[in-house]
Amino acid sequence: MSRAPREGPQPSPHGSGRLLKIEDLHLSFGGIKALQGVNFEAGAGEITGVIGPNGAGKTSLFNAISGFYKPDRGRVSFDGQDITTLSPDRRAGLGLARTFQNIALFRGMTVLDNIKLGGHTRLNTNVWQALRYFGAAQKAELELRREIEEQVIDFLEIDHIRKYPITMLPYGLQKRVELGRALAMRPRVLLLDEPVAGMNREETADMARFILDVQEQFGTTILLVEHDMHMVMDICSRIVVLNFGQQIASGTPEEVSNNPAVIEAYLGAAA
Amino acid sequence: MINANLKSSYAADERVLNNRYKQAFVYGSILALALFTLFGNDYLILIASQMGILLIAVVGINILTGYTGLVSLGHGAFVAIGAYAVTIFGNLGAGVIPAGLMPFVSVPLAVALAAAVGVLVGLPSLRVKGLYLAVATLAANFIVIFLIEEDLFAPWTGGMVGINTNVPNLLGWELDTKREMFGLIAAVGLVSLLAAQNLIRTRVGRAFIAIRDRDYSAEILGISLLRYKLMSFALSAAYCGLAGALFAYFYARILPEQFELALSLNLVAALIIGGMGRTMGPVFGVIIVVMVPELIKVLFGALAGDSAGAGQLRAPLQQIAFGVLLVLFLLKEPLGINQIVDRILRAANRWPFARG
Amino acid sequence: MGQFVQFAINGLMAGAIYALIAVGIVSVYKATKVVNFAHGYLIMFGAYFYFTFAVIVPGQPWAPAWLASWQPGWMVEMRGELPMFSPVAAVLDWVANLPRILLGLAGALVCNAILGRIIERVLMRPLMGQSIFAMIMVTVGLISILSGAAQLIWTADAASVPYIAPNMPIRFELFGTMIFLFGTDLVNMVVALLLFGGIVAFVKFTKGGIAIRATAEDQSTAYSMGISVPKVFSRAWVLASTTGAIAGAILATRNGISPSLGLFGFSVLAIVLMGGLDSYIGVLIAAMVVGVLEAMTQWQMGGGWAEIVPYVTVLVVLIWRPHGLMGQKEVERI
Repeated sequence: MSRAPREGPQPSPHGSGRLLKIEDLHLSFGGIKALQGVNFEAGAGEITGVIGPNGAGKTSLFNAISGFYKPDRGRVSFDGQDITTLSPDRRAGLGLARTFQNIALFRGMTVLDNIKLGGHTRLNTNVWQALRYFGAAQKAELELRREIEEQVIDFLEIDHIRKYPITMLPYGLQKRVELGRALAMRPRVLLLDEPVAGMNREETADMARFILDVQEQFGTTILLVEHDMHMVMDICSRIVVLNFGQQIASGTPEEVSNNPAVIEAYLGAAA
Repeated sequence: MINANLKSSYAADERVLNNRYKQAFVYGSILALALFTLFGNDYLILIASQMGILLIAVVGINILTGYTGLVSLGHGAFVAIGAYAVTIFGNLGAGVIPAGLMPFVSVPLAVALAAAVGVLVGLPSLRVKGLYLAVATLAANFIVIFLIEEDLFAPWTGGMVGINTNVPNLLGWELDTKREMFGLIAAVGLVSLLAAQNLIRTRVGRAFIAIRDRDYSAEILGISLLRYKLMSFALSAAYCGLAGALFAYFYARILPEQFELALSLNLVAALIIGGMGRTMGPVFGVIIVVMVPELIKVLFGALAGDSAGAGQLRAPLQQIAFGVLLVLFLLKEPLGINQIVDRILRAANRWPFARG
Repeated sequence: MGQFVQFAINGLMAGAIYALIAVGIVSVYKATKVVNFAHGYLIMFGAYFYFTFAVIVPGQPWAPAWLASWQPGWMVEMRGELPMFSPVAAVLDWVANLPRILLGLAGALVCNAILGRIIERVLMRPLMGQSIFAMIMVTVGLISILSGAAQLIWTADAASVPYIAPNMPIRFELFGTMIFLFGTDLVNMVVALLLFGGIVAFVKFTKGGIAIRATAEDQSTAYSMGISVPKVFSRAWVLASTTGAIAGAILATRNGISPSLGLFGFSVLAIVLMGGLDSYIGVLIAAMVVGVLEAMTQWQMGGGWAEIVPYVTVLVVLIWRPHGLMGQKEVERI
């Protein structure tokens, strides 16, 4: 009944870490073509940005990577393994974490409990142990608690709100808690869907700092969807540009911001 | 009055009974229960036994509906399965297994059977949402009761007229008085309440709540909806089966009509009235759901005497009162008595400071 | 073969009644997104109202004699000349009952409409905008209230009511075998189907019906278009309770008056779910299918097993097609 718990990020057995590979992804809903041939690799330990106008297919891409949509064509590979048909929970077990555009925290729980849920795949308490609690389950829980406090809550500076129910938190803090929950999974690949949407400059700067810290301290590969161009250009080492489901550019921030197709589709006047 | 609740270790912070008042309440209640078992009057023991049996089942429903957010209008079927299974197993194994060991064999078997059927009934939950699940469980309830009543199986189940039950024999100690049975019920009830509380403190309970709140978010955290929804069904069915087994031991005879739709609706109503998703909810709910019809009975007896005509009026009146109670809570206090108690405790906590 | 056709026809006739019961559930769901788990008990009240106005009232000492049995001169003459079980005699018996049948139906319609209005106002309206779960549980509470109230008012004793149509036997040949029907069953079926079609047409083509569908899709938009949403809710419930009254009366003539009439609501709930909750056509098909399956089961395995046919069927259908045969899949935006 219990699987071996998953360890944190480890060097890829496949060498030079092309951890997440998207190959020729096609996805349509009825008549709507959400993705038409998306192709890129997220470099291990790098921050890759995905940008594009609204409706370009960015969230559909994320949903396909997460496993909520089955693509019509193409492959999603994680660390060399083809995960295109794996269910979302199995992908999480491999080390894929994600935050959502519209905050998907559990509103019936506190911050601490939400973050503890991030540790779900790394525990292996089974139902009998759970019913008993005293013994294996308690030990595991206390260990998890300690680890979360020291590595996530301290790291994200949310210790003053850790007992608060989610519903009491302002938007910016909720986003941070969601990041914390994803971090508690000790992911190898982290998908961030608009992590600074709706934040002011201060909050955005804070979040950007946290994201950079995550990359530095944990070596996590990060894939980032964002509209805030300053932040994207600042922290991403590579950027992929989507428009109407098609990939129109891919490269470093300098290359992308000078790409005429991108400018035309998206950036408009100043870059 | 509690000003602050500060702990100096994670272990202390993780405790459930984390202040003196809570500890006093829990230990005091256990003591009171023990004293009641020994000295309470017979009539009250009877009432309390009903509450105890119902409590175990409602705790099961709390796991399914309160924690995991899955609606079932048919869990009475599992109570029936538990009751009949423990009786039938008891009859089948009568010669083979010594009487003193029988409950230790037949009860787990009955509970396991209930859990297995629970998994079966829970299969639709994987593909359909709330409403459809409610009707699917309703359908399952009707089917199970029908199978019990059906003549085909009457040689084992006694069909419509029911079947006599056995007296439990725990390693030589025969529990043939209601009082002794209550002791067993109270003990089992406490343990099951504790076990359900424990679930929440572990990843299993958290996973349930995650599924309730936002199932796709639970999925990307690695929670297999398939596994956990079925687990929730199995657990809740097991609890109901256990309640059924105790029910069979408590009463001299069981009949299919005791487990019909009304029982399933009672379980859900008790949960709503008491408060979903919290540990004490089932306790409050069960007290109300058993006390109110009892009070009506007593009132009726006082006012109308013992005439047959009064008896005819009493049952429908209890039904109406029950429905009105449920509706009132849904309209006025959907979070149940738990919420009311919370408010009182918060006010007591703040006293003598003003609100706010 | 012959027996098969006989039972199939019986099944279709039962199916028509189920469809009529179902139309009330679907209409309330379409307008308010609430599934009324107590619909069977609304039907039961309709049946009991019919019983009140068709049997109890005419039986009272203060009721005029012709209400209980209308026997004008010409009828007595005609009757006298006829043999006991002739079709014409059955028709005449029916005519004699006509005043109380009409009173019964009228009374049932009016009283149930009022009941539906009250339920919507007192129980459903305050919950507008709250969780669907709460609204469904209110209808579950309603089950106890209605069930208890009916027992309180009318007691649990069984009774019988006059047939709505002449109870004459009809015999005809089909596929080489003799089919045996009662006229009253046939008329019941026709009435049920006509009413069903009428409601569907109403919802599809009239202003009131469009208002219902608009409210179902998007309440706030409907409001801003000038549709009175509370009025739509009220109308939907009245529609459900009036069709329920007729359905109840029909059921009562077929199965007699007893508290167990309420249980039909649950088997029809299963049918509604099979048909897809918001599709009239789907529900009609499901009702017919279940009716025929029930009849077949009764034929092969005896009456008891027919009871659980709708429930077994709904479980099978749900596993195969989780949103019913013709329901709409809900898509959640992530």
